[in-house]
Amino acid sequence: MSIHSPPALACRDVTVRYGDVTALSDVSVAFEPGLIHAVVGQNGAGKTTFARVASGLVQPTNGAVEIAGQVIRTGHVRESRAAGVELVHQSFALPPSFTVAEAMEFGAPGRGRLYSRKGLAEKWRAHLAGLDIQVDFSKRIRDLPVETQQSIEIARALITDARVLILDEPTAVLSPVGIEMLFARVRRLKQRGVTVILILHKIREVLGIADTITVLRGGRRVEGPVLAADISADHLATLIVGDAVKGHKPGDRDALVGNGGAHADVPSGHQRYASLAPALVLSAVSTVPDSEGAPLDKVSLSIRPGEIVGIAGVEGNGQKTLVRAIADLAGLSAGTIALGGEDITRKSLAARRAAGLRIIPFERNIEGLSLTSSLWENWSARELLQGPLLRLVNPARIRALCDGSLKKWGVHYHTSSQRAGSLSGGNAQKVILAREIDDDAKLIIAAQPTRGLDIGATAFVWESLRAARDKGAAILLISSDLDELFDISDRVVVMLSGRVAGAFAAPYDIQSVGAAMTGAGAAATGTQR
Amino acid sequence: MKDRAIAILRSLIFVSFSLILCAVVFQFAGYNAPQMLTAVVDGAFLRPGAVEQSLRWALPLFITAVGVGISFRAGFFNIGAQGQFYVGAIAAAFAAEALRGGPAFIVIPLIFLAGMTGGALWALWPGLLKLRSGTDEVITTLMGNFLAGLLLVYVTSGPLKDPSGSGQQASSRPLDAAYRISNSLGLSPTIIGIAIVVGILMWLLVNRTSFGVLASLAGRNGTMVRWQGAKLWQLGLSSFVISGALAGLAGTIEFMGPNGRIASGFLPTHGFTAILIALVANLSVVGTAAAAIFFGGLASAALYLPIMAGLPAAAIDIINAAIALFITARSNLVEKFLRLGRRSS
Amino acid sequence: MNDVIIAILRSGTPLVYVTLAGVIAQRAGVWNLGLEGLMIIGACATILGIMLTQSYAAAIVIAIAMCVIASVLSWFVIEKLKANPIIAGLGLTGLGIGGTALAVESIFGSQATVTAPFGAPKLGAAFGAYGVLSIFVAAMPFVVFALWLLLKRSRFGLQLSASGEHPFAARGVGIQPVRMRLIALSIGGILCAIGGAELATGSLQFFAQGMTAGRGFMAFAAVIFGAAHPIGATAAALFFAIAGALGIRAQLMFGDKVPHDLLQALPYLATVFGVWLSGKLGGAKTAGSFGELKDQ
Repeated sequence: MSIHSPPALACRDVTVRYGDVTALSDVSVAFEPGLIHAVVGQNGAGKTTFARVASGLVQPTNGAVEIAGQVIRTGHVRESRAAGVELVHQSFALPPSFTVAEAMEFGAPGRGRLYSRKGLAEKWRAHLAGLDIQVDFSKRIRDLPVETQQSIEIARALITDARVLILDEPTAVLSPVGIEMLFARVRRLKQRGVTVILILHKIREVLGIADTITVLRGGRRVEGPVLAADISADHLATLIVGDAVKGHKPGDRDALVGNGGAHADVPSGHQRYASLAPALVLSAVSTVPDSEGAPLDKVSLSIRPGEIVGIAGVEGNGQKTLVRAIADLAGLSAGTIALGGEDITRKSLAARRAAGLRIIPFERNIEGLSLTSSLWENWSARELLQGPLLRLVNPARIRALCDGSLKKWGVHYHTSSQRAGSLSGGNAQKVILAREIDDDAKLIIAAQPTRGLDIGATAFVWESLRAARDKGAAILLISSDLDELFDISDRVVVMLSGRVAGAFAAPYDIQSVGAAMTGAGAAATGTQR
Repeated sequence: MKDRAIAILRSLIFVSFSLILCAVVFQFAGYNAPQMLTAVVDGAFLRPGAVEQSLRWALPLFITAVGVGISFRAGFFNIGAQGQFYVGAIAAAFAAEALRGGPAFIVIPLIFLAGMTGGALWALWPGLLKLRSGTDEVITTLMGNFLAGLLLVYVTSGPLKDPSGSGQQASSRPLDAAYRISNSLGLSPTIIGIAIVVGILMWLLVNRTSFGVLASLAGRNGTMVRWQGAKLWQLGLSSFVISGALAGLAGTIEFMGPNGRIASGFLPTHGFTAILIALVANLSVVGTAAAAIFFGGLASAALYLPIMAGLPAAAIDIINAAIALFITARSNLVEKFLRLGRRSS
Repeated sequence: MNDVIIAILRSGTPLVYVTLAGVIAQRAGVWNLGLEGLMIIGACATILGIMLTQSYAAAIVIAIAMCVIASVLSWFVIEKLKANPIIAGLGLTGLGIGGTALAVESIFGSQATVTAPFGAPKLGAAFGAYGVLSIFVAAMPFVVFALWLLLKRSRFGLQLSASGEHPFAARGVGIQPVRMRLIALSIGGILCAIGGAELATGSLQFFAQGMTAGRGFMAFAAVIFGAAHPIGATAAALFFAIAGALGIRAQLMFGDKVPHDLLQALPYLATVFGVWLSGKLGGAKTAGSFGELKDQ
């Protein structure tokens, strides 16, 4: 490392507070130019806040940011961009109705000239070609697959000749193959002299790409930047996790930090339920295409009581449609669905829920909870829907019942009339668990149940799902986190383009599951869906 | 309940803020602002008979506003109260025309039924469009207001035209005295009774039924309720229909009570004021009653000002508009003020 | 034939200007229901300005200043106080209608209409039968074209659209959506002032209480029907003007036999159809949900 050139990006004593919450606390860190740096930590460690401070999107409460030795005004995106720092967001930030060419143009610095559509495409063709991105310029962002959207976003970030490129959780939406392609792109950028800062949370990925590693925990820097070669995976795991999961299974610990290989402790489904009829049977289910995702194409799936079946796949390959189909929220064009031996194909969701269906939906804050409504209203919704709409209710009694249930699930809260949005992610998820996991549950669908949760809350969710399984519930777990799936699933089924593309049993091999996720032989092109 | 106290205080602060702004405008326009505001208060609440007059305006407004509150709670931004009010009145007028001569105890309920059905139907089509094809209800209900206004012009100068009517404003033939539910002053036990019954029923519906809890959840987050197994169209459409029916009921009351006929462009700000009332009341039924009396007072002051104080009635429109401008502001200043020096949760 | 075209241009031009104001606000992410109020402020300020200064240019400047101030007020309430744009817009409309009535009454007593000594400059004899039209009519196509360039063919237009469609994306590249909306609403204020001036002085030369008579809402309808595209919305506004002019003409020729009210209802019905269609096709944004924070 050169002593002469100043760090590409340096933060001094950066603190960020949102109200009472301290997202970052006195973080000082300097990144050498020309390397690939990883910033790792669990959810809630402050990684995204850090990235946003560095890119000027968040104004720190105090602290300074230096880019290539120059102190810049914090909280000003334009200044950070002018100094050469660009951020690619975790959830992509391009207006969905824009064409590729427009998406390139709108963020370009300066005023720009009047353009024609053709001229605009010409203008950006060379830029995208230079980055090996082949795409139709007149396509709209919303019509592109996620991998391509991410490439476009990276290309958008590089139009200013960025010297520092920050990628916030870029791997979260990608398949193992897609991750490899992304990393190849990052290495090429490094060869061009770009300093890349990757925000990651999986040790396997970190060790596969990074030159240096910095660890954040609880808003503080606990290590780094240290050379990746100087740190062991085990030590890194300890740094990331802290004291959060003492006493948990070693398999859980590895899964939590993305340090899994083949797992030694194979999860065991409960054989005493094996003789019972399957809890869920999907027979050749196809759905009517709609705007919400890939339709199902003759999906057959069966889950026994006391079994956790994991669904793997790159996002957007029909996982959501699968859940919607079971929840009567997607139209079936063929096939049947049976719950606990009873055909429910033509039944409403309310009836299916009465028959024992429970759902922890994908989007906790949209599908799972009404953030601006009170806890007791959120908690009571399922119960209330089992009766007639004009049934008289007694709010005081519901609140008392709700209090009892939330206490049992260990939710930290003030009063049952506080807004659900005032809870932390982990506590909010516990409210959903309190509503959805009960003794009558026959099939629990857990869709991305740990997304965005810190390690403690994640482990809690896993334990809750295992406990429900042990009581005889069937569990359908959908996750884009292979470590999570491998750790707690009795079987893993891979979905691709709305079809079942493979089924695996423990011990799982990440390579073959990854290959199934992208479809054998189709792994070469970046725009492959 | 701290939240409720905050909500009430918030409304009071924004209403006072709007009044101050109006005072500045009045002063700027060359009027004596204190004198103007005194005259408004006088006209609304202090002069002899003011309370009766305020109630006369407040009760129909209350009924419409409760309905508006129900659709807002359920998450539907139904700003079509004016149109539903008109169509309700029109339907009632047609029913009265058709049933002319029948016994009052049969005709009166049927006119009410017709009025409420008319209002409900005028809310039904935007509701159906919204729930079946996601058509934005703000636009459809706004357009519905204009369409209903044109419909009112058409029927009062066409099918229901009063041949003996003279002057600028086309109107329907007057309702037979036997079917009137109040004199032209507009306050009678019947109307008061209807308002009380509506108030109690709607309070129960909102606060003490599954429907109330679920509709309010659906209003804040429809997706979540859908994932819980609710039929959103059921919750949504009934909210639309209830709010339309109540606006239609208010239209019927205006027709059978104080007005005794319908006229083109009558009570043109009824729906808008009702929306304001619902918002000022933060959509609570009890609050709606209080806010309705306040705005009813303003409405009665609008008649009083030009005649008794020689001041322009437009002053009241300005007060209403200023309140509209600020009432939905979500500035957290109030919350901050209340939490001052307290540990936040 | 000429007189029909003249009638259409006369009724259509004010509508087009106000529609363009609505388009630019819509693209920046503000549903502007205050157009009616802005338009009447523009009309009233022009007439009062003429009477005050005896200069048409000065009157236009006054009208523009008043409308921009009112626009900035609505921006402040919507963006800074986070009020619901629909209700705040209706409030602005009420303020415009009530405020102009109050102003006229306070200056001229209880007079319902105020007549100015002269109106907008006309095109003049060189344009033959069309010479009676005001300069704003002739300028209208150029303004539409300029706005199309600005919104659809410039980086500024993209930044404005990004602010409306995906504020977080806009902030991510250093655009401040709140500021873009201020610019959009200010430009809208200018356009509304001209629309109001054309209404009051284009072929007339007086102001009457409530003289906009729902034109601002019709302009809003044109914005929605024209999918917030400058050309599309202009076409919608002109279509509404044509329907109106034909309605009047039909009534003159056939008397009461024509359902005149149906033609008047056409813009509103067309708009309902338009939003229904765009909802069906998907991608339509909704106004409701109490001004939910559109930002991350």
